[in-house]
Parts: sequence; C-alpha cells; structure tokens
Amino acid sequence: MAFVNLKNKLIQVKIVYYGPGRGGKTTNLEYINRRFAQRIQSEMVTVKTHGDRTLFFDFLPFDIGLVNGFQIKIQLYTVPGQVKYDATRRLVLRGVDGIVFVADGMTLRRENNIESLRNLQENLASYKKNLRTLPWVLQYNKMDLKQQGIAMMPIETLEQDLNQEFRRPYYPASALEGTNVAATLKKIISLTVESIRKEFL
Amino acid sequence: MAKPTKSDTLTSELENRLDELFQEDGPLAETASPRAGQQKPLAELKKTVLSIDWEITPEAVESFLAQIRLLKEAYQSDKAAMVLLQILGSLGQYIRTSRSKAHSSTFSLLNSVFARLEEITTHPGMPEVTKRKLLQAQMNAYQQLREKVSQRRAAGQVRPSAAQPAASAPLPLQPAATVVTAPMLAKAIAELKEFIRSEIENLQRQMKNDPSQ
Repeated sequence: MAFVNLKNKLIQVKIVYYGPGRGGKTTNLEYINRRFAQRIQSEMVTVKTHGDRTLFFDFLPFDIGLVNGFQIKIQLYTVPGQVKYDATRRLVLRGVDGIVFVADGMTLRRENNIESLRNLQENLASYKKNLRTLPWVLQYNKMDLKQQGIAMMPIETLEQDLNQEFRRPYYPASALEGTNVAATLKKIISLTVESIRKEFL
Repeated sequence: MAKPTKSDTLTSELENRLDELFQEDGPLAETASPRAGQQKPLAELKKTVLSIDWEITPEAVESFLAQIRLLKEAYQSDKAAMVLLQILGSLGQYIRTSRSKAHSSTFSLLNSVFARLEEITTHPGMPEVTKRKLLQAQMNAYQQLREKVSQRRAAGQVRPSAAQPAASAPLPLQPAATVVTAPMLAKAIAELKEFIRSEIENLQRQMKNDPSQ
C-alpha cells in the first residue's frame, strides 16, 4: 500500500514490473536508469543476480518532485521471472500500488506470458488484491526482434491472450531500444497516483 | 467555464512533470548522473543493506561489514559519516550474531541510519546544525534499540549470554556458538560510546565557533 503522509504532504508509490523470465523487466529499468539518469538523479540497485538473471529484485527509486503541493517518490521494482522464484515474486508484490506486466512478444513465449499473468493473479490474491481494481498496464516487449526475422505474435493475439478480460492500456515496445519504455512508465505512474488520490486525498 | 477540480490540477501537473522528466529528445546519458560518482562508494553498501533487509545470509552480513570497513577508510575525514558508520557497524555485528533473532526494530534502524549516511555524504554543504540533528536522532534511536534488546533479554525471552550485564550491553544478544565474548563486546561498546560522545562534543564546539550559525 502506498505510503501517504498528509501532514508532510508526501506520497510514496511502489510499482512492480512483472512478467515471464527473460521478458525484459530488468531491461526496462536499466533503460530508465541510463536514459534519464541526469533528471531522476537516482541509481539502480540490483540485489543478487546470477549471470544475467535476476534472483531477487532490481530496485530503482526516484523523486518526481513537488506536484500540486505533494512530494511524490516512486519506487520501481522488478521480480525474478523464473518459475521457481514464486516466493520472491510474492514478497516483492507486498504493498504494490501499480503494476507493469511485461509480456514477451516472441511467439514461442506465448504460454509463458499466460502462465505469468495467471501467477500474478494468484499472488495478488494472497494480498487480497486483484487485477480488476489495481492500476496496471501491459507492455508487449521485444518488438524490435521482428526485423531480425524472429517469429513474433501480432498485437491482437497478445491482447486476446492477456488483456481481453481487462482492457488495460498497452504498449508495443522494445526495452532494449527504449521504444515506449518511458510511455509505459508515465502511464503507470499517472494511473497509480490517480488511484492513490481517490483513496487518500 | 468550469473551475478545474483538485483532481484535474493534480493530474495535469503530474503529467507535465512526467513529460519533463521522461522526454526522449535529450542526448542518451551513457554515463550515470553527475552525483553518481560521489554516491558510488555507498552503492555497494546500499545493496548489502537491501540484501539483509530481504534475507539475513552470512554472505550478505559479511559483505555489509566489509563495506563498512572500506567506507570508514574513505570517510575518515568526515566525522558525521564516521559516527553513522560506527552505528551501522555495531548493528551489523549484532545481526551477524543474532541473525533472525535480532530485534525487529534493528532492520528499520539499519535502513534509517543508512539513509542518513547517504543524505550527509551526498550533501557536502549541509549545515553542521542539520547534521547534528540527524546524528542525534539516529543515536537516540540506537539507544532505544539497545534498551529494547536489554529489556527483552531481561525478560528472559532470549537466552542470556555469559556475564555481560544487560544494562551496559547495547545489543547484547549472543548465541552460544559465537566467538565474540562478552568482555570483547563490552570493550567495543565502551569504545563506541566514547567515540560518539567525543564526536558530538567536537561538533558542538565547531558549531559554537562557526560564525555563520
């Protein structure tokens, strides 16, 4: 749950990037950290990695500054995508305010995306939260691979698999090249802060 | 024309701010922020603090204590940072010996002391009076934790160690298998107390002599 201090006019928001392993969650945060480093004045922390795989989580905190008199602080997290780290994923979701579901656009990852979304719903349920009420957006990642002749799913298929029930905002993206990384981030921050405003202010 | 609502104002201000922060037209920053170089010494420590907060493993605690040792060398001329590093070091030793039995407030204090260290080291121009307030708050919190640990120990919830008097031990939980003896701990505590006291006196003297205050 967001940390909101009305006396000090401080809002702290936790956003988690969720999705299947090797889907590009960490790449999203790395791009944000690298591309906007001079403006967000922060540093990304990766807690425990093995090779190129996230075992625990990545963490990127930054301040948005004063907005309508409120100091807004954002904390971005990723979760390890590998199936066996379910307990870690569940823990990272504790107190989550908004979610970016990073789906892998490659055709061969179709089942992984569906399984990961199902896993997300299960883990949210353990905190009595669900995707119908929580602010979240989808990002269909790795769209750049199409140019390399790799089989990619059409957006319609991804939408049908993952978003038909929810009708949430979605972004075809390339986290590696930065396409729509910022747009995804801006949208989830807007939706989450708006949700917090409705609840607390 | 309708007057903008509170919601409209917040939303539009937020969107403007996000556009400013995340516009894509600037050059790609291949290197980290200008502050990154200054913060780098603390980057590894931050990782270990988060790791310990996540799960207390011997590797995480040893890495944390190793970082503290390195940082004490790096910040030996910064007295305020040294005091905070001393507190972090003591908390690290306590966590190393007590592991999951460490008092639950230990971890919030660990995070809090680290945050103050980060604040002080990344704002070299911070007024001494502000530094002193920050230090005092952390030392008070440390003292409160000591008292809580002593009370818990006195209440017999945790097996007491050797002959170390509870009242004089700041973080006295000592598993039987530890190689740190009670006299060693008492000596370290006495040294830490003396160090902190002298640092505060020093800071107070500096404040009195600083004409800008």
